[in-house]
Amino acid sequence: MMGDAETCFHCALPIPANCNLAITIDGEQHPACCPGCKAVAELIRDSGMGQYYALREAPEPGVGRPPEEAAEWRVFDNDNMLSAFTRSAGDDSEATLYVGGVYCSACSWLIESTLMRLPGIAAAELNPVTHRLRVRWSPEENAYSEILGALASLGYEPQPLTGDSEARPELLEQRAALKRLLVASLGMMQVMMFAVGLYAGEFQGIDAEMQRFLRVVSLVVTTPVVLYAARPFFAGAWRGLRTRRPGMDLPVSIAVGAAFIASVYATLTDGPAVWFDSVTMFVFFLTLGRFLEMRARHRSIDRTVALSSLLPNTATRISADGNVIVPVSQLFAGDRILIRAGDAIPADGFVVKGESGVDEALLTGEATPQGKSTGDPLAAGSVNLDRVLEMQVTCTGGDTTLGTISRLSERARYARPAFVTVADRVAGYLVIALLLVATIVATVWYLVAPERAFEVTLSVLVVTCPCALALATPAAFAAASGRLSQLRLLVTNGNAIESLARATSFMFDKTGTLTRGVPKITALVVLDNNYTEYDCRIIAAALETASSHPLAQAFRLDDTLPTVDDQHIEVGQGVSGSIDDRRWRLGNATFAGAGFAGNEGSATQVFMSCDNNAVAWFEVDDTLRPDAGATLQDLKARGLRLALLSGDQQAAVEKIAANLGIDEVHAACSPQQKLAIIETAQSNGEHVVMVGDGINDAPVLAGADTSIAPAHGASLAQTSADVIMLGDSLAPLNTAVTMSARTMHIVRQNLAWAIVYNTLALPLAALGYVPPWAAAIGMSASSLVVVLNALRLSRVE
Amino acid sequence: MSILYILIPLALLLLGGAVWAFFWAVGSGQFDDLDTPAVRIIMDDDQKPGDGNET
Repeated sequence: MMGDAETCFHCALPIPANCNLAITIDGEQHPACCPGCKAVAELIRDSGMGQYYALREAPEPGVGRPPEEAAEWRVFDNDNMLSAFTRSAGDDSEATLYVGGVYCSACSWLIESTLMRLPGIAAAELNPVTHRLRVRWSPEENAYSEILGALASLGYEPQPLTGDSEARPELLEQRAALKRLLVASLGMMQVMMFAVGLYAGEFQGIDAEMQRFLRVVSLVVTTPVVLYAARPFFAGAWRGLRTRRPGMDLPVSIAVGAAFIASVYATLTDGPAVWFDSVTMFVFFLTLGRFLEMRARHRSIDRTVALSSLLPNTATRISADGNVIVPVSQLFAGDRILIRAGDAIPADGFVVKGESGVDEALLTGEATPQGKSTGDPLAAGSVNLDRVLEMQVTCTGGDTTLGTISRLSERARYARPAFVTVADRVAGYLVIALLLVATIVATVWYLVAPERAFEVTLSVLVVTCPCALALATPAAFAAASGRLSQLRLLVTNGNAIESLARATSFMFDKTGTLTRGVPKITALVVLDNNYTEYDCRIIAAALETASSHPLAQAFRLDDTLPTVDDQHIEVGQGVSGSIDDRRWRLGNATFAGAGFAGNEGSATQVFMSCDNNAVAWFEVDDTLRPDAGATLQDLKARGLRLALLSGDQQAAVEKIAANLGIDEVHAACSPQQKLAIIETAQSNGEHVVMVGDGINDAPVLAGADTSIAPAHGASLAQTSADVIMLGDSLAPLNTAVTMSARTMHIVRQNLAWAIVYNTLALPLAALGYVPPWAAAIGMSASSLVVVLNALRLSRVE
Repeated sequence: MSILYILIPLALLLLGGAVWAFFWAVGSGQFDDLDTPAVRIIMDDDQKPGDGNET
């Protein structure tokens, strides 16, 4: 059922021709591809876990394969390693591991049950989605290396993770916020209950003793709400005072603090009224608003970046005295490292030996594994799926593509858009104005009706808090950039959304932007009827294996290729080789001979001949991104002016432009000319978005009002683009335009709402028509409306 | 009504217990992921490396 005759029962890789191994499970014989797989399968069977094979989904080729060499896990038992990778939890030790190769619940069942059978293991939980295994064990009964070894012997490659990756700042922030929210909400519910009793007592009469009791209990419950849940507001107010830039935290703190102290005083002296209910409700709604805003902000940290914590912490370095496991921090450019199947790649570099499929979804969103062989670049954070690779490191840590993406999105997180800064400043002045108004209201009421002065002033302070105003813009921007990053558009500049919304024209670069920048075979004409198209592809692929010419990429095939003898490369001409004693030549017309004649065109033609007979010719061209046409049509339909700026020759550029329906074409442009075109458009009042490749077009991108660049490994580090396209698709551009327009619309709605609310509520409260609890509800509701309105942006399609 | 003098403090004790339990749960990481549990029920188990679901 599982293993076909020709694939391994355990790892589903093809069985080598001269291999005759078998695994016996439940009396049935199954083929195995190597002694390692046989051993693993027997280990699984002998542990009584043969059920794994029935439970698992279709086996993944290569996954679960045992490591080729038994890794020296003992290294991890020295104290340095233990303190870096494990932490103590009471008497037990605890560690988090990244386990590669886990794709279904059968894997996680197998791993958990195997570990639980080891001595001294207290808990083992594996999340198949995040690939993280948390394991707790008693260090007296078992060693860390034993656990790593047990996982490795099952065929899963464990990657020890340092504690740091657990303690991400946004995670800690979320935990603290959750605790505050819970304290505030439970406190509010309890105090509300007592308040019902107190209010009922005011109407129906209540024992003085019972009233005092209810007030004291309310006080007990409100104290943690004020001192714990509301602490960020007090801290913010204090910070604002110290920097002389009062924010919305100041009136909030004054209101909460004053109402709480006055209520405590009333409780102790049997005063006429307490406001514990208003205090807790105010704190709860504010905390809820902050919590929702925080979630929107965190969501804008691209998941790609969150996943960068999945980088392995160790790597296997190949050195003269054998393979050594070293922490990734000790990897340097030029090191050679070994990447096993299922391993995440720890640094940027290129393949020096081996051939394998690599999952680059983390960086490009491209779901299908990419074939990699000698010379091909590898990016940190991608996962090697099939076979062992040897790679040479070119850069590590923050210099890698992944590191750059993290840094760019970090920059976006801290750079506040100009729009928000303005709103903040306005809110600052507003706070001062409101404090003045509150003082005036207090004085007037004190003169007219001193017994209501405190209550009315409290209402004024609470109801006019400019929270909604201050939240209106940042919440919308956070939600929008969060949604855009889900669509694989990384906003690196806070102003980008606003300036995209005003775009009137889009200008595109050709190579690498509208096209993939990777040559592909676009046409194949077979001239000799003895061969099928497939034969030609396979022979061409086999001939090109030795070539490192960029065009050779176009011919690569993941298939069984015929053996080529006597391979010969003529630089700039083509390749030749013998297959079954026949001489094949693949290259330009002169090189292939056989009467081929070159013809002029935009695409490159490659000819193939066999023993001087013409067999076939290929047309190799840089292909358009698949959705380029549709995306450009959509942009055009919005009334945006589209233009194509390219350094390529007129004919080639016009062909592409005609294909895509772009009317305005500027071919053979130098970067200066491109910049001049953009500046002319700008002087005509246009708002130009430039979509181009980071390196050549850096000045052009910088000159445009908004710049968008696709993320191609090398160019990424130098880019200063406002928006980075992480995926292979252009369609998100269209969404980005919709998104930016929607964002500005929602920001305007929010601001209008906040202003209308404040202008209506202030006079009512000042005249004494709004009791403190209603003021708390009104103000909180207005902030919630703003935040929820902004969150609608995270659902834009 | 004097039963309230016992019931309310008792309720507060339970409240304290609930808060403690929640703090423990948050501290042990049970609330770190607020997004996937909601969709886990509709996720199929047969995730493959190429599915893209886990990225």
